[in-house]
Amino acid sequence: MLFLHEVHRVAGAKEREFEVAYRAGWMEALAADGDARLLWFLHHAHGTGPSYQVVTVTALPDGAAWERLAGRVQHGDLRDWAREVDSCRHDVQARLLMALDFSPLDVDLAEVPTDGRRHEPALYMEDTMWPKRGKAEEYIAAAGAIYTRMLGSDPAQRLISIEAAYQTMPGAGRYPEVTLMQKVHDMPGLVRLLTTDMPEEMARPGTWMHDALEFRDHWRSKLLRTASWSPLN
Amino acid sequence: MLFMHEVHSVAGEHEHEFEAAYRDGWMTQLARDDDARLLWYLNHAHGSGMSYRVVTITAIRDGAAYERLADRLRRGDLLDWSRAVGALRHEVQGKMLLPVYWSPIQEIDLAAVPTDGSEHELSLYMEDTGWPSAPLDDYIRFWDHEYFRNMRAMTPEHSILEIEACFQVAHGTHYRPEAMLMQKILNYGLLPSLISEPEEYDPDVWPGRYMHRGLRYRDQWESKLLRTSKWSPRY
Repeated sequence: MLFLHEVHRVAGAKEREFEVAYRAGWMEALAADGDARLLWFLHHAHGTGPSYQVVTVTALPDGAAWERLAGRVQHGDLRDWAREVDSCRHDVQARLLMALDFSPLDVDLAEVPTDGRRHEPALYMEDTMWPKRGKAEEYIAAAGAIYTRMLGSDPAQRLISIEAAYQTMPGAGRYPEVTLMQKVHDMPGLVRLLTTDMPEEMARPGTWMHDALEFRDHWRSKLLRTASWSPLN
Repeated sequence: MLFMHEVHSVAGEHEHEFEAAYRDGWMTQLARDDDARLLWYLNHAHGSGMSYRVVTITAIRDGAAYERLADRLRRGDLLDWSRAVGALRHEVQGKMLLPVYWSPIQEIDLAAVPTDGSEHELSLYMEDTGWPSAPLDDYIRFWDHEYFRNMRAMTPEHSILEIEACFQVAHGTHYRPEAMLMQKILNYGLLPSLISEPEEYDPDVWPGRYMHRGLRYRDQWESKLLRTSKWSPRY
């Protein structure tokens, strides 16, 4: 399974048209066959980063399906749709992602909603990490073994949970690069995270925040809110 | 056919090991089957841009072959090679390219691409990447009508370059809107005048007409002067 991750810089005056184009255009056009499904349509929350940015994630069963989709956009039935969407955004930065072994996301494309059904919005913390030179595999192994354990498994206690973990596909973005889609479960806990310093005991040798510095010290977090019709929330 | 375009930020002290890894590792490993071939290994000429940048372009048969190659890098016979190369560079930025409808290069006969590292003279390419303000398809058509056809019609003594390929980014793998020209410099004697003489364009005569009309489509692009290595399969 491959995941097409796109960051759209939307023209502010056309944000509604852009969203409609993805709901009524992209999501429904993909539903016509089994090659791809839109999973997430997410707004970068205003006040936490750049303005009018939307993140979309589309799942594809394999490389052949991605090539067919790229052909539809270049010269097929999605060409006019792409031209229309381009008029609603400044640009889009995209990459293809592959699931890491510890990624919990298990998608059956046939089960992904395509009818735009409404739900409560959910908040995600999307972390993108750039491991140090020559440390990518060690970082991924440590993240799977230590970081996931640190987050905890008790639903009542956890601040965030990893919904999906990816690395960027060679030839389709920056390498090495790791992306975690983490769902926020505890809003008061998120506020505490933002408003207080990290406790000293979380940065001592033997903790993830300390020991992982051997593998990476460069990452970016985004707070992303699902649209009310996003297929996954 | 797909073209994997990678820009490597190489660790300066490892530049020769990096080049050897691509010649003796990547190129020769790809030659084991029919999925892919390294086409170009290009050094961004010092003095014309970023330091220690290498551009590689690899032709890949199709999307299924691309996925197989990614799996080889991630957990297959190319994993150790990938680890070793990862220690020789700071990062790599990759994108997948598709030829546009008028590109001279459309398909590559992978079986005919050299994989033996045989040496040859160096050549210089001008790689232009453009980001249009007009619709992408209109920009690509403009390049065809106003640039490619006129360049192709020039006599050899007046032609500074030959357009070998024009690509657009395959959906989902990089930036949109973006398109790219791969142009081989044919006449080094004309290069100094291009670089050093003031640009004054007559809007009524080509190439001034192209420059003036081009502003309707774009004013943002980047040119890179890329020199092939002496063993680059294409040059």
